[in-house]
Amino acid sequence: MRVFKMKKGNIVPFLRSLEEFGEVWGPVKKGDNYVYAHEDPEKFDLSALRTLIPAKKFFLPQKSTILKFKNGNWYTHSDCKKRVIFGLHPCDIHALNIYDEFYTRVYEDPYYKSNKEATLIIGLSCLPDEHCFCNLTDTSTVEKGFDLFFTELEDKFLVWVGSPRGDDILAKRSDMVEDITKEDIKDYIEWRKRRENMFKVDLSFTGLPEIVSASYDSDIWDKMGSACLSCGTCTMVCPTCTCFDVEDEYDIRADEMNRNRKWYSCMFREYSLVAGGHNFREARAERLRLWYTHKLVGFMSEYGDPACVGCGRCVVSCPVGINVLSIVRALTGEKNDAFWAKTEVKQI
Amino acid sequence: MGKPKIGIYGLTGCAGDQLNILNCEDELLKLFDIFEVKSFVMASRSKDESVPLDVAFVEGSVSTEKDLEELKKIRQKSKILVAIGHCAVFGGVQSMYLGCEPWIERYKKVYGREDAVTISPPLDPKPLSAYVKVDAVLPGCPIEKEPFLKMAGLLAQGVIPKNPDYPVCAECKWKENECLLLKGEICLGPITSAGCGAICPSLNIGCIGCWGPIEDENFASGIALLESKGYTLDEIVKRFSIFGGTERGEKLAKYIAKVKEGHNG
Repeated sequence: MRVFKMKKGNIVPFLRSLEEFGEVWGPVKKGDNYVYAHEDPEKFDLSALRTLIPAKKFFLPQKSTILKFKNGNWYTHSDCKKRVIFGLHPCDIHALNIYDEFYTRVYEDPYYKSNKEATLIIGLSCLPDEHCFCNLTDTSTVEKGFDLFFTELEDKFLVWVGSPRGDDILAKRSDMVEDITKEDIKDYIEWRKRRENMFKVDLSFTGLPEIVSASYDSDIWDKMGSACLSCGTCTMVCPTCTCFDVEDEYDIRADEMNRNRKWYSCMFREYSLVAGGHNFREARAERLRLWYTHKLVGFMSEYGDPACVGCGRCVVSCPVGINVLSIVRALTGEKNDAFWAKTEVKQI
Repeated sequence: MGKPKIGIYGLTGCAGDQLNILNCEDELLKLFDIFEVKSFVMASRSKDESVPLDVAFVEGSVSTEKDLEELKKIRQKSKILVAIGHCAVFGGVQSMYLGCEPWIERYKKVYGREDAVTISPPLDPKPLSAYVKVDAVLPGCPIEKEPFLKMAGLLAQGVIPKNPDYPVCAECKWKENECLLLKGEICLGPITSAGCGAICPSLNIGCIGCWGPIEDENFASGIALLESKGYTLDEIVKRFSIFGGTERGEKLAKYIAKVKEGHNG
């Protein structure tokens, strides 16, 4: 993996120059949060930590048309667009690598694949806040899954090349980068040490699959289920949630039927409803248990890693405080002041 | 096969749903092209009630004996009955929980006396499903143009459309909105049926629940959560009631009884 150095002032012209590969998207402020948006790179906020919705939206959009039916025939349909996405952190890239496993390893999803191939991924380093725990999920650094990765040091960027495409891009922009020096390596190592000491979540994920498996009958799931609003937020903001629903929609203006797929959630009652009216996960507690066993146990046995990258989105998004951290705390007997744990909901 | 025959009817309500169908100005010709409209009093006085219908769209709640009679007639002659708008699907604001039982007390609270309405004997306002089989629903107060057109499109293809069984929060997240509940505002997103596209939260206004309660609502947790943010039970119940319809009204009555029981015990 080759590494270069870039002056801070070069980042905006560099990103602008990437328009030739497609729309350049990056993190911009929305209220108190961030979203990936197609804006002038000048507007990208390099201090953005986690976006409201992760980068999965580029590869499995919230809603997309996959087939059209007109005059008695089906046609495949794709809205695939060439894009450059800037500002993905190591956890985000790890999540995309998990998406890759899921959507290409066993059954290759053509829509996912073409979206992925049309996208340049440019990573960006980050400094954790109090909700980040990628150090616990072993996803705080990343070695693959990007074309370029920028680490922001005090006075410069170090740029890692992660793909032949990334290499070509820099080769054509050699005036914007320089070779690195020993001094740069020293600065980087110091920065890494500083970053490692910034993580604040004091928990252990060691042996978690065993603990979650052993807690199958724990009453903690019922306690959580009583507070869970089944709003689906956790699954929408989770960068490794892959589920979608398929529905047909008739467009009377165009006189055609659209087969769409849209994000769906195992927190919704209908997710586990099958023909004949039987629902094999009617209770909220069962749905929650499914999600967490899938993330922390099932995915591990199938793909070798847990499907949690420690991004902290569930931690900051669930209105009732159900998230990986509060669950691990509850299951391991740690102090837990999440809303769901300390509130007695009066179910009728 | 000829064009599907349809009728659009209104029981007790503001007629806003019929009006929103008429407001589909750019698509009206298309609608009249794919359907044979047999009755739509708001659009035309000429109507034919003698023929069976493929689809009847009915708005409004059943609030009088006359409503009930009319509904039964419509049901009898229609293959598919679609309840449109909050009143028809859930009972409307006229069915909201006001903490006074039986319903005649609520009636007197609103009209002052028991014999105020003389057109037809009044009934406790209820959704269509309280009396007849409803095949499909399109909630909203009023219904929205796009969901209506999509529903009409599917019906024209012989498909019975399904209302989402998930809450507004899902659509709100798809739109990458910040969560208003997390900001401490009253937002009924988690307990309200999706379908509107999270219009209000997208404009930074908490969901008021006009698409009605989602069947799977965890409203008890919703109350507990809002109480933890400093709202009083009274304030919360008022918000939950407006578009709560008859079913949530019953749940709220039980919840309040349970709270009182807890206080006394």
